[in-house]
Amino acid sequence: MASGQQWVLVEMVQAFYEAPAYHLILEGILILWIIRLLFSKTYKLQERSDLTEKEKEELIEEWQPEPLVPLVSKDHPSLNYDVVTGFVSAVSGHISEEMNLPPSHKIIVNGKECVNFASFNFLGLLESERVKLKALSSLKKYGVGTCGPRGFYGTFDVHLELEERLAKFMRTEEAIIYSYGFATIASAIPAYSKRGDIIFVDEAACFSIQKGLQASRSFIKYFKHNDMEDLERLLKEQEIEDQKNPRKAKVIRRFIVIEGLYINTADLCPLPELVKLKYKYKVRIFLEESMSFGVLGEHGRGVTEHFGVNIDDIDLISANMENALASIGGFCCGRSFVIDHQRLSGQGYCFSASLPPMLAAAAIEALNIMEEDPGLFRVLRDKCKHVHKALQGTPGLKVVGEPLAPALHLQLENSSGSRTDDLKLLRAIVDYSLDRQIALTLARYLDKEERFLPPPSIRVVVTVEQTQEEIERAAQCIRQAAEKILK
Amino acid sequence: MKHFKYILNPRCGNGQTAEKICGCVSNLLRCTRTCRTRTRLECCLRRQLARFSNTAAESLLPGYFARMNVGVAHSEVNPNTRVMNSRGIWLAYLLLTTALHVVLLSIPFLSVPVVWTLTNVIHNLAMYLFLHTVKGTPFETPDQGKARLLTHWEQMDYGVQFTASRKFLTISPIVLYILASFYTKYDTTHFLVNTGSLLSVLLPKLPQFHGVRLFGINKY
Repeated sequence: MASGQQWVLVEMVQAFYEAPAYHLILEGILILWIIRLLFSKTYKLQERSDLTEKEKEELIEEWQPEPLVPLVSKDHPSLNYDVVTGFVSAVSGHISEEMNLPPSHKIIVNGKECVNFASFNFLGLLESERVKLKALSSLKKYGVGTCGPRGFYGTFDVHLELEERLAKFMRTEEAIIYSYGFATIASAIPAYSKRGDIIFVDEAACFSIQKGLQASRSFIKYFKHNDMEDLERLLKEQEIEDQKNPRKAKVIRRFIVIEGLYINTADLCPLPELVKLKYKYKVRIFLEESMSFGVLGEHGRGVTEHFGVNIDDIDLISANMENALASIGGFCCGRSFVIDHQRLSGQGYCFSASLPPMLAAAAIEALNIMEEDPGLFRVLRDKCKHVHKALQGTPGLKVVGEPLAPALHLQLENSSGSRTDDLKLLRAIVDYSLDRQIALTLARYLDKEERFLPPPSIRVVVTVEQTQEEIERAAQCIRQAAEKILK
Repeated sequence: MKHFKYILNPRCGNGQTAEKICGCVSNLLRCTRTCRTRTRLECCLRRQLARFSNTAAESLLPGYFARMNVGVAHSEVNPNTRVMNSRGIWLAYLLLTTALHVVLLSIPFLSVPVVWTLTNVIHNLAMYLFLHTVKGTPFETPDQGKARLLTHWEQMDYGVQFTASRKFLTISPIVLYILASFYTKYDTTHFLVNTGSLLSVLLPKLPQFHGVRLFGINKY
């Protein structure tokens, strides 16, 4: 009723007049606060810079621009490069246009035909006729490129087939293909490890792992190369930290990133101990198997087969197909739950064009060859042991690497102290070998970008195509070079 | 059938024979006839539509099923920052508060002052929960988890203070408080409850409290 409503309103206004003072004062303050808010400007919360304006001006004035083209010495490696042309076919003895084939076992460097001890063609699949025929037929079928990433018109049946075959070969649930080997582990690490997470990584990790770590924005803790005690010390420190702050520990993830066969030092990681540490300290293992895939293990499945470790113990295996498999690109394999995440979070998978189908078909054929003939791996291992033995005792050079490793390093026993001088000496040895038709190469790094720059070395690669006699000749040549140049 | 994860590769053109078709994802999509009037892509999609009424295929056929997602792509690194600026959200928030009040009013045994206090308290509780307790994002962001430990209030507009949405969300609990004080006739008990509730929701909004976690509560 109208009078009833009016009566309620009168009561309300009366209550307002009888309101306690503190309440009305508070409301007044709040209304003033609203007015202040309405007129305040937006601003960003800046992090305090410790430089005053004057110091900033001084720094700006001091700065000198660097020259666009810095002065380099005449013997900078970028100015003295080796030119690799195709190799001459065995049929005709002279180089002619139609017989110019890409380099594989034999390689033409600076116009001289040499035996290839420099390419990572471990299983000799680069010049396999079967692989070439398969690649050509799929070139005719699919054309050259895919013109799209995997999620946008870039998936072909060969991609899916290659993923299935790789998963079956490695005996994991699923595999995922990347179109560039370097980008494989560099995309896989940041897909799982974010800001605030902790990654324990070996000091000798390769450059692509380092770029992946940098992209992940996580806390990186390096442990000494293959030193399990150092790693355990770091893990124990982390455990103590976790016990101090269990709520923080519950939200951060911990990873260990290791390589099966290290490309920089050519030795194996102690995988069984790492798996023990994994279960003791609850860390995930990411294993990078670029050098050991297709090399180690009875059937070429890599370092897990070599050590007899259950493949389900490793959370993610990443490898590139550019070494033993003689294709381009890389893959990651593991449980479906893990690998499926990369289909949306792997930057190299979602935002790069997919692998050209010709190369995927070549990789499938290479896998066929690997599966049909497991004797190949035994042959390669024997050759590696042979090369390792043959290179021992070279005066002035030490062989760095395991007897099982197909890519050994030859480092100077006594370094001269300066990296450029060491490189000059090693380059002289390489030149001597090139003259004698053995193609070797210096191990190259981006000196300024590497975290732990390895010492300069010559990389000697063993393939199944190299005959006993060629190996002996190469070892002899290196010994002579070392005697002549390093004495 | 395997779920349609990838968009099939068209490699299609008019008048090509079926053998030339390659790269389609599943067996179902391999066309077996030559299409002369339409492109192969349309053929594949129509056949698939006829068989399985696949919505992905539907969206790829413009003009026949005009359901393309035009204008929804954005390059925002963290979409949480722009939620409170989106179209209609202020109105939706006001309507929701009004709806809460109306529902509480319709409960028979609650008097008007109690209902206003309850509205104020429940509104502030919900605001505290959604803006100042829940942290991070429900989706993955391309910045490797920069906002993982930040509440929604701290994420708003990438931490810029005193933007329009921030002012609106600060003023609305104050207005609600003033209304609630009026309708509770400035009673002491109601005053204490309402003021406490208001302070709990005003203090975290101050720029001095950006990123502050008292006593380590809600830090990780």
